[in-house]
Amino acid sequence: MDDLYLDNIDEFVNDQNKIVTYKWLSLTLGVHVNTAKQMLYHYLQQKRNESSGTPLHATYLVSGKCVENGSTCHKVSVVREDKLDAVKAKMDVTISVHVYSVQRAELKDSSPLYNTDYEAVKENLKNCNKYSAIRCAAAVPMSSAGLQRAQEMALVPPEEKEISKPGLNENTSATSKSSAKQPAGIMGMFASKNASKSQESSKEVKTEQKDDSSLVETSKSKTASKANPMSNFFGKSAQKKADEKPNKSIKEETDGSSTATAIMKQSQTSPKSKIDIKDEQSKVSSALKVESKDTRKLKMKKNKEIGSPSGQIVPDSPPVPNVQTPSPKKQVKREPVSHQEEISEVKRRKRRRVLKSHTFVDEEGSFVTEKGYVSESYSENEEVPEPNSQAKDSSSLKQSFGKREEEKKVKSQKKTSTANKHTKQPSITGFFQKK
Amino acid sequence: VSVLEMGRIVNFLYVFVASIFGYFTMATLTRQDLNFGQVVADILCEFLEVAIHLILYVRDVYPSGIFQKRKKYNVPVQMSCHPDLNQYIQDTLHCVKPLIEKNEAEKVVVVIMDKEHRPVERFVFEISQPPLLSISSETLLSHVEQLLRAIILKISVCDAVLDNNPPGCTFTVLVHTREAATRNMEKVQVIKDFPWIVADEQEVHMEEAKLIPLKTMTSDILKMQLYVEEKTQKT
Repeated sequence: MDDLYLDNIDEFVNDQNKIVTYKWLSLTLGVHVNTAKQMLYHYLQQKRNESSGTPLHATYLVSGKCVENGSTCHKVSVVREDKLDAVKAKMDVTISVHVYSVQRAELKDSSPLYNTDYEAVKENLKNCNKYSAIRCAAAVPMSSAGLQRAQEMALVPPEEKEISKPGLNENTSATSKSSAKQPAGIMGMFASKNASKSQESSKEVKTEQKDDSSLVETSKSKTASKANPMSNFFGKSAQKKADEKPNKSIKEETDGSSTATAIMKQSQTSPKSKIDIKDEQSKVSSALKVESKDTRKLKMKKNKEIGSPSGQIVPDSPPVPNVQTPSPKKQVKREPVSHQEEISEVKRRKRRRVLKSHTFVDEEGSFVTEKGYVSESYSENEEVPEPNSQAKDSSSLKQSFGKREEEKKVKSQKKTSTANKHTKQPSITGFFQKK
Repeated sequence: VSVLEMGRIVNFLYVFVASIFGYFTMATLTRQDLNFGQVVADILCEFLEVAIHLILYVRDVYPSGIFQKRKKYNVPVQMSCHPDLNQYIQDTLHCVKPLIEKNEAEKVVVVIMDKEHRPVERFVFEISQPPLLSISSETLLSHVEQLLRAIILKISVCDAVLDNNPPGCTFTVLVHTREAATRNMEKVQVIKDFPWIVADEQEVHMEEAKLIPLKTMTSDILKMQLYVEEKTQKT
C-alpha cells in the first residue's frame, strides 16, 4: 500500500509524459508537500537503480546563503540536475535541497514547470495551500467588499506594479543563466533592425490612412497608458493627454475626440466585428482577447521593447493588418459627428433603429445590397434626414475601402439613409423590388 | 436581382435574425454569423502563432538566443524576437485566417525539413469547428484558454517522445483545406508579395512515418488535435 505512490508517479511520468512537480503531486495525491518531495526522491532512486527504461530528468530546488555583489543574500533557485553540484558549491551555506520535479523530457527552460503548477493550483484554488508547509495566520480570503476596493486601488498605481516586476524575476534558474550572455549578442542585432523597420512601417501606415490624426492619437494614448494595459478600458484621463498634441486634424476633432478614442478602444477589442460598437459583443471576446487587444495596440505603437530582454509582458499576437484598421476608425469618426448633428437639429427629431437596406453599384459594376440595423433620425414629418453630409461620407468611404468590404456588415448609418429617400417605411420585402 | 444578390440577402437575413437572438439571449449563434467565426479565427490564429514559435524553440530549429520569454494564457512561452521570422509567421497566419473563418481549413501543418528539404517532422494541427456554435457558457473562453494552455505544455515536453533533429533544419507551414477553397485564394492575393503555392508531394507526404499523438482538445467552439508525424530515420 505504501508503495502504491511509486506506481502512480510512474504512470504520470512514463505513460502520460507529464511533468510531476512536488506541488502538483501533493495536490493530486492529497499529501503534504514534504511527503510529496520524499515520494519523488524515492521514485528517482528506484528508477536510477534499475538503470533501465527511459531516461529521467529531474530538477531540484536549492536554497542557501551566498554572497553576491558584496552582500549576503538568501538565494532560492530551481536548477537542473546537471547544474546541481555547481550551484551547491557556489553557496556558502546550503540550507535545503530537494527534488522539484521529475519528467522524461529534458526541459530547455522553466516555463513548463510553471505551467504545470499553474494548472494544479487553478483547480484547487480555494485550498491550494492545504498541504503547504508555509503557514500564515493572516492569510485569509478577502470578502467581496474588500475585493472591490482592491480592484479600484489596482487601477490607480499601475506604474508601480511594472517597476516591481523586474525584482521578482530575479528568481534565478541555472538553466537560464547560461543563455543570458547569448541574448545580448544576438538581441543587439535585432534592436537596431527593429528600430529602423518600425520607423518604415509607421510611415507606411500613416500614408495609407487618411486620418493620420486618429492613428497618432491612439499611439500617443497608448504611450501614456502603456504601463497598465487594463487601464485602457477605463482610463479616459490617459487619452486626454493625447489630445493636447498640436495637430490640425486633431484640433478639428477635439470635440468628439475623447468619445472617439473611447469608442475606438472598444471597437478595437473586436476589430473584426462590424455590427457593433456594442459592449455585449466586445464582452464575448473580452476575456481571452484582453491580451490580444493590448497586443495589437502595443504593436501599432512600434514597440522598441523587443530589443530589451526584460522579460516583461510583451505582446505576441499578429498586428491588425493595415487594411482593416481604416474601417473601424471610419465608423467611429462618423459617430461623434452624428451625435453632434443630432443635438443641434430641430427638437422634434428623434432617432430610431430601423432596418435599412442600401443598394449601390460597386467598382465592378455589380449591384450590392447591404442591410443593416441603422440608427436613423426622423422627425414627425418624416423628412429625409441629413442628405448632404451623407453623400460626402459615402464617397470618401468608397475610396478608402476599395475592396469588397461591403460584403462584411459595415455599419454605414449615413449611407443607408441616402438610399431610402423614397421609402417611408422599410419592410423586409422592400429589397426584392429594388433592381 | 441576380442570383448572387439573393444569396447575399439571405445570408444577411440569416445573420440579422440570429444576431437579434444573440443580443438578448446569447444562446446560439450560427456559423453564418461572421462575427463569431472571426472571434474563433482570432483565437485560433493567436494560438497557432504561439505554438509555431514554441515548436521552433523546442525543436531547435533556430538557436535559443533569439527567443524571449513572454506571457500568453497566463503562462510563460518562448517567442522569437527575430523580425523577419516573426513577420513571416504573421503573414502566414494572416493568410490562413480567412480560411479558418469559413471553416475551410482542415489542417495546419508545421513541417520541419532537413538540409536537403526532406521533411523529418510534421506537427499537424487538425482543426474542426462544430456547425452550431453555442456560447451560452460564461466560462467558455477561460475553458478554451485552459485547453490551449494544456496544448502548449504538451508541446514543451514533446522532446521526450521525439528523436533529435539533424542540424540545419528549416521549417514551412502547409495548410490543408477542405474542398477547393484555395481557388479563391489564388485570385485574391491577401498579402502583397506573399504568394501561396500548392505544396510539393515531397513535403506533404513523408515516407516511413511514425505517428505520435500529442494532445486532443474539444470545446464548444473548436476541436483540435495535435499529433506529430516523425520520420523513422532522421539522418
